[in-house]
Amino acid sequence: MSIFVDVVLGGVFHAAVLFLVAAGLQLVFGVQKIINLACGSFYALGAYFGITAVGLAIKLGMPPVLFLPVLIAAGLAIGLVGLPIERVLRTIYRRDESYQLLITFGFLLMFQDVFRYLWGATPRTMDNVYLAYGSANFLGIRVPTYNLLVIAASLAIAVGLGLFLERTKTGRIVRATAENRDMAEGLGVNASRIFALVFTVGCMLGTVGGALVVPSGAASLDMAVDLVVESFAVVVIGGLGSMRGALVGALIVGLMRAAAISLVPEMEMLSVYLVVVLVLIVRPAGLFGKATA
Amino acid sequence: MKLTRRDFSRFAGAGLVAATAPRLFAPALAQDKPLKIGIIAPRSGAAGTAGECGIRAVQWATERMNKEGGIAGRKFELVIEEETNPKDTIERLRRLILQEKVDAIHGLISTGVSLGVAPVAEEEQALVVMWDGTTQDGVKEMMPNPKYVFRSTDNECEAVMGSLLAVKHFKGKFKRVAGINPDYSYGRNNWEAFKQILARFGVEAEFVAEQWPKVGTMDLTSHIAALNAAKPDLIFSSMLFADLPVFMKQGHAAGLFNGVKMVLPAAGWQINQLRKEFTPEGIIFGHNTLYFDHPQASPLQKAFVTDYMERYKEAPHWEADRAYFALATYKAGVEAAQKAGGKWPTQEQVAEAMPGLEVESLGGKGRFRKDKIAEQVFYQGPSTNNNKYDFPTLASIDTFRAEQLQKPPGMDFWEWIKTAKMPV
Amino acid sequence: MSNPSIDIVSEREVRRTALRPNGLWVLLALIIILALLPFIASPYVLLLMLPFVGYSIALLGFNLLFGSTGLLSFGHALFLGVGAYTAAVLTSKFGILSFELLVLTAGLVSALISLVVGALCVRYTRIFFGMLTLAFGMLFHSFLFKFYGITGGDQGMRVLRPLLLGMEWRGGKTAFLTGPFYYYVLLLFALLGLTMWRITKSPFGLHLRAIRENAGKAAYVGVEIFRMRLAAFVISAVYGGIGGTILAITTGLADPELAYWTHSGNLVFMAVLGGSGTFAGPAIGALAFVVLQDLVMSITQYWRFVMGAVLVLLVLFMPQGLSGTIEALVHRRQGGR
Repeated sequence: MSIFVDVVLGGVFHAAVLFLVAAGLQLVFGVQKIINLACGSFYALGAYFGITAVGLAIKLGMPPVLFLPVLIAAGLAIGLVGLPIERVLRTIYRRDESYQLLITFGFLLMFQDVFRYLWGATPRTMDNVYLAYGSANFLGIRVPTYNLLVIAASLAIAVGLGLFLERTKTGRIVRATAENRDMAEGLGVNASRIFALVFTVGCMLGTVGGALVVPSGAASLDMAVDLVVESFAVVVIGGLGSMRGALVGALIVGLMRAAAISLVPEMEMLSVYLVVVLVLIVRPAGLFGKATA
Repeated sequence: MKLTRRDFSRFAGAGLVAATAPRLFAPALAQDKPLKIGIIAPRSGAAGTAGECGIRAVQWATERMNKEGGIAGRKFELVIEEETNPKDTIERLRRLILQEKVDAIHGLISTGVSLGVAPVAEEEQALVVMWDGTTQDGVKEMMPNPKYVFRSTDNECEAVMGSLLAVKHFKGKFKRVAGINPDYSYGRNNWEAFKQILARFGVEAEFVAEQWPKVGTMDLTSHIAALNAAKPDLIFSSMLFADLPVFMKQGHAAGLFNGVKMVLPAAGWQINQLRKEFTPEGIIFGHNTLYFDHPQASPLQKAFVTDYMERYKEAPHWEADRAYFALATYKAGVEAAQKAGGKWPTQEQVAEAMPGLEVESLGGKGRFRKDKIAEQVFYQGPSTNNNKYDFPTLASIDTFRAEQLQKPPGMDFWEWIKTAKMPV
Repeated sequence: MSNPSIDIVSEREVRRTALRPNGLWVLLALIIILALLPFIASPYVLLLMLPFVGYSIALLGFNLLFGSTGLLSFGHALFLGVGAYTAAVLTSKFGILSFELLVLTAGLVSALISLVVGALCVRYTRIFFGMLTLAFGMLFHSFLFKFYGITGGDQGMRVLRPLLLGMEWRGGKTAFLTGPFYYYVLLLFALLGLTMWRITKSPFGLHLRAIRENAGKAAYVGVEIFRMRLAAFVISAVYGGIGGTILAITTGLADPELAYWTHSGNLVFMAVLGGSGTFAGPAIGALAFVVLQDLVMSITQYWRFVMGAVLVLLVLFMPQGLSGTIEALVHRRQGGR
């Protein structure tokens, strides 16, 4: 029983990480119809910047317990990088979507060397935070409390996003603009502002995700490129443009992977691809998506 | 001191001068031009940190050697190219050979790339001294008698040594063995070697779990959960990229290592990231050919480590030694060939001169065998956290030479494991 | 990308079209220049041209999908990989060294695989198609990596020197590559280019462009969208496979990184750099990319940044690519439409 819980928790943890990146992707796509190939880069940016921020906090003598809010703040702060990038992207909104894929691919390449220039080729880790929160006993197994915190944070963000989109006025405006930009503009919505907001929030989802996760792992140069593939799998399974899809897709990928690792370790990545192909054959739009993309 | 003379007849005149005044000898061709050595190493991606360490080492060595007169009296400079994937790296290699017209090429860490590069280098008749990347498959399939390509010690040396030390220090103290190794040829070969050595020494162990994380995975929680479920008393892992410190950190937090013996033959590559907070003591820790904190280190190593740590604020690992070794043996080869031939040697002549010449590398003495595979000294031992660093050092050091860890030329590796005389 | 829709073409336009450089002629001119190159260029430059030809052939296929049909594939490198590994398996596992057989088999295997992949992907367009093809490319990459018993895993598989027209070249590899292989491959390029030209100018090509312009209208008029797109996909795959074979022979090794998605990204980069709106555009893009990357890598270690910046600037300021820009300039000179 405890083994089962262990595996499930591992899967859910991974899903929490994936969700944050995928949510950023889905939000931006849902509203702006842009697929951001550099989503992984924002994740990496959050991770690297988070390390720097915590390093600074340590120098300033902050107690380790405060590091979690420092990380979140760092993630939010560096997510603002999305603003200038969105301005650049703005010039090509009306153009063929292929160009968006391309330009974000260009950003991905640029980011890779920015990371190398600023933080070097050696993988960076942040050790104090992860262990500072100790471990908890969860249904019979020892789990690092930090993992539970990340899962909780991810859930909170998911719920928060959902509420924002469904209940708040700005959220409704965002959804309206997503449905039909011209109509929304006709009704007086400043679409450019909405787009800037959405894109930046999308970036922040990625950067905060990276910052939150880096204490348990490390920041390395190729994390951005590898993550793109996994997050795409999540989005295809869940359905393009759907937040619920991001959540469910992330859970499926995370749990599939965890199950494969514990039962058939050799099949780790292949199991995820298999699910992608299966979804494509059986329900091509993804579980919650619309096929019109 | 560099002497330059104009020469009227390249070969006859030089030969005469060489015969009559060997000490006043100057290279036959007007050697004001510095020697060019191409360096190919990864600078980004998973192996980027290893490549950078090697590059730093050769840069340090270049500065030093040039101050002392260079190679056979000739200064040299480095032309650095990035090692990426086989196709692109082969293109850069060709550029170095055909366009930059370098006198030799050192570098190469990834196994896939070195396998692809070797035949190209042989065909282009270019002298290549590899830092790393030699695998059993490579040794089997590649040309059995390369003329121009020098390869590093067999990749599995550290696994062999780690396994032997596991037998030496832990025999009888473990029953359930788990392995978590990177999912590519290196990880697979190392795990297989470990299993075979245990079998050879009659160690009765049950292999309770085998994990194969994708290279560079940052989230190993599920793998750790699976290992935990199997309740091993010994874990063998040849992980060596950024995933290793992540594994240690996450594993420690999950209580995986409590009372578990660990064998990490390649941990030295990640020494700076393996903090004491989550790295237990008593791990069979592999430093390959350079243990930066060796109490009996040579003055050369001491000088290097001090400079390196001061400049880069981190400890160097064995890639630095491999890089230095390549340069040192090349230098020795050039100087020997030049002395023998009386003029500046061709790449072929240097390649012929290099095998057998013993040089002092950062980590110790080493040389190339006749089949152009390196023989160096390896350092591993049980780890301790009782030191002034943030990461563990070795409580005691076992030192094996490559001859004890590598199969002799021509023999099959798996056969050799079964029958060779082992130092344990 | 503004090609005229299917309308009645006026006489004046016909005359103008005849004056504009015909895409095929541009391509042939390029090939002729390459054919003359060995007389003035160094072996290294010639060796650099070989991947250019491999990429160009693959891009001819890619652009049938992108330029003509409007489908952006971010997984085209899959077929580069298929072609490479086909050559590797045939030469090193089965000892089949005939270049002609290698090319034919690579094309065949690519066609078969693309039938399956295409059937799943071409139902979707634009972004979704791009994502799906990326996913399939990575699936193939994982397969190559994982099933190391068959594929050699990360170490790849050797590709031995092939026989050209049954004849063996007794000499160095560089001499082979820059000599008979170079010319053979150029000839192959010309033939494949001619074939692709005919395809794009045929009724089939017209249908593809109709689908790209307005799928609904095309379907209404009776064009079988799925079948046409799938056919385009398969043809592009065949070209991709052949390109991959050429790349692998030049390198001497087939390795999984050939199928990695960033390699597909480079293909798209080349197509856009040269201009996907013209016939010879992608080939020009391939040449520009190969030369540019070689240059940039020699100048700075931060070449990824430079290449990325070039791509961004390209999309922002010159989306029609080099050939599109040239065409626009020529147009303006002629008083265009």
